[in-house]
Amino acid sequence: MPTAASDELLTGSGGPPPIDPELPFGGGGPDGEGNNPPGWQRRTSLTGIVVLMCVSVMTFGSFLSAMVIRRGLGATNWGHTPMPVLLYWNTVSLLLSSVFLDTARRILRKGKRQEFTWLWGAGTFCGMAFVAGQFVAWYQLAHQGVYATTNPSAAFFYVLTWAHAAHVVGTAIPIVMVMVWALQFRLTPKRRTTVDAAAMFWHFLDVMWIGILLLYRYWA
Amino acid sequence: MEEVPVKIFTTSHVGIARQYFFLSLAAVLLGSVLSLYMRFHLTYPQKGEITPELYLSWLTLHGTVMVFFVLTLAPSGAFGNLVLPGQLGAKEMAFPVLNAWSFWVTLLSFLVLVASFLATGGGPLSGWTAYPPLSVVGAIAGPGEGLGQTLWFVSIAIFCVAQLLGAINFIVTVTDLRAPGMTLLRMPLTCWSWFVTAVLSLLSFAVLLPAGILILMDRLVGTSFFVPGGLLVGDMVIQHEGGSPLLWQHLFWFFGHPEVYIAILPGMGLVSHLLATFARRPVPGYRAMVWSTVAIAVLGMVVWGHHMFTSGLNPYSVMAFSVLTMVIGVPSTVKTLNWIGTVWGAKLRLNAPMLYCLGFVSIFVTGGLSGLVLGQAQLDTYFHDTYFVVAHFHLIMGVAALFGIFAATHYWFPLLFGRMMNDTLGKWHFYLTFVGAYAMFLPMHFAGFAGNPRRYADFTTFTFLGQVLTLQKGITHAAFFTGAVQLLFLYNLFHSISRGVKAKQNPWESTSIEWAGEPAVAEIFRGPYELGLYGERDYRMQNEGGEE
Ligand code: HEM
Ligand SMILES: [Cu+2]
Repeated sequence: MPTAASDELLTGSGGPPPIDPELPFGGGGPDGEGNNPPGWQRRTSLTGIVVLMCVSVMTFGSFLSAMVIRRGLGATNWGHTPMPVLLYWNTVSLLLSSVFLDTARRILRKGKRQEFTWLWGAGTFCGMAFVAGQFVAWYQLAHQGVYATTNPSAAFFYVLTWAHAAHVVGTAIPIVMVMVWALQFRLTPKRRTTVDAAAMFWHFLDVMWIGILLLYRYWA
Repeated sequence: MEEVPVKIFTTSHVGIARQYFFLSLAAVLLGSVLSLYMRFHLTYPQKGEITPELYLSWLTLHGTVMVFFVLTLAPSGAFGNLVLPGQLGAKEMAFPVLNAWSFWVTLLSFLVLVASFLATGGGPLSGWTAYPPLSVVGAIAGPGEGLGQTLWFVSIAIFCVAQLLGAINFIVTVTDLRAPGMTLLRMPLTCWSWFVTAVLSLLSFAVLLPAGILILMDRLVGTSFFVPGGLLVGDMVIQHEGGSPLLWQHLFWFFGHPEVYIAILPGMGLVSHLLATFARRPVPGYRAMVWSTVAIAVLGMVVWGHHMFTSGLNPYSVMAFSVLTMVIGVPSTVKTLNWIGTVWGAKLRLNAPMLYCLGFVSIFVTGGLSGLVLGQAQLDTYFHDTYFVVAHFHLIMGVAALFGIFAATHYWFPLLFGRMMNDTLGKWHFYLTFVGAYAMFLPMHFAGFAGNPRRYADFTTFTFLGQVLTLQKGITHAAFFTGAVQLLFLYNLFHSISRGVKAKQNPWESTSIEWAGEPAVAEIFRGPYELGLYGERDYRMQNEGGEE
């Protein structure tokens, strides 16, 4: 490559942006060879999970704003959705599963693989229990004559809980995969990223769920 | 240039870019043929057995295909995938497999859309905005409003998923995979626009998706989110109660306005980049360009109400939306002045991609001015749903974004297919399209002045439209002329894919490193626009070391 020795910048129309080494974002991506640096997959995956959370927040946010508008129409038919007691037990089981998964994740860093398998298994089980519990709760509601068509309150209840359950089931896929890998002793270092990412997203779903629950307990 | 092998299930960003490119090419052909059908019918309504419903289904498919599968896919899906990793100095997108999924899900959505058109009963009639209640109540609102409309919503919901996956990929690629030394403020303006576009996609498609789910529930489950009570359609009382059609308009336009910027922002970045490259000058005020991009995106999130001025919004919110809309004129003007500043008095390399970019600026100004007219609620009360609006958005979104796509195709053709396109043919195509575009869309403003409503299948049955018939006929002629001119582009494209001149390394003497070739860039030492230097070579690529 030719050297830049003899040139001077033609200024007057701005010139190139100054190069500021103090900038917080350094662009530490691929290494000098054009390969991506070690650990890049872990890094992009974790960022990706955070961005995915933004998508979900936006999605639930639009449901929520639709609710606010729909209710604010002054409609007399908003209705009320009775909350099956089971939902609180489901909450307990979801939170428990989060605790298990996270403890498992931490313990794996210390290399305690057997404990990991047990804890992760317990977390997976509690998560499944949550999903099963949601199905029962929907069934109980339907049994009381509360359908999506009954009134807007119920309609939004089903929409929100279905959307949340879809998220949970989606996240359960990597969680079960990790379980399988763990049982087969194939939890390679690369797959640790899946462990962390899945656990992170699972906690996020806890927060979502508690939001929905409070919303229906106190407002809708 | 490097040969990239052709593979169907590819995860390579170049391969996926090609797939998006050809998908949007198929879509633009479909959309254009439909538009010619429509123009023909408008001019010769007595020819053929064209029912108003059939016309409306063409209109719906035309709008949907163009907005979603051309103007959304080509600028980001095709060229973003093609260029973004290279310009950042990354080897691949952040999630190559996810990237492939985005494409295949998009293709699925396209197939469902085409199926909606072929469904029993006919294609959906509600236009690309699909306003309830008629888009909800089913076949009673028209033959295509049954299965066809359901499939339409399904297609759009699938499309949202694909776009969200794509947006995640773009965002993470920019945040995490820049080469060492590629600080945010050393990114070429193209990267900035793709990044901001991805953020907009994320925020807006994440709203259209739930809106689509709610409206599908109204149609399929029988909820009443969007259908008011006591509604009479075709002498029948509709069995819904208490919903709000306005709710859909809010959700839709909360997506819809950012969507128009999703279509145009990549073009804006490209124009800044190419004007500098072919004027051999740095972009004056790089930071101003970055911030105006961000400002347009932020403002673009809060102006959706300007599509609803006549819907009975609270007058205070109308005023707020109106003011915010006019404010978008400020960053848009910053950009325009910047572009003019880049080329003012410079010795231009007037090749085809440069011409398209200059054309973009012209069309953007023309179309933007009518936006400022429409942004004033008082004027919009008259112009809403007339051909004035049609003229506005076809110029600024249709033609300007298409010029961006043409420019990108010529400019990055070596990266896509390893060859160059024919420049002379490109110039002819540009000049003729430029004339054709103005010939089509300038007169449309006058039709709008005369109160000519949009989405009407036949003007001859209204006495008050007698005065626009000749004008509309002229528009049709211009449309067929412009359509024919596009054959030049198609010929050039396919001829150059197989026979074009082999491209050499960095054929445009650009500073950005998608042209650096393999092995990819080591490290970034320079800002993006070190052009117009003295010495035997008037530019430095961003990865060139040496003293400053
Ligand atoms: C200064 C900038 C702009 C202003 C003030 C503006 C204003 C408006 C207003 C007020 C409307 C609503 C007209 C009506 O339905 O009565 C409108 C429609 C529209 N604008 Fe713009 N606009 C601007 C730029 C753009 C850009 C950059 C694009 C796309 C790239 C765009 C695309 C559209 C589209 C697609 C519609 C029609 C949507 C439909 O009803 O089908 N506009 N614009
Ligand atoms: Cu708008």
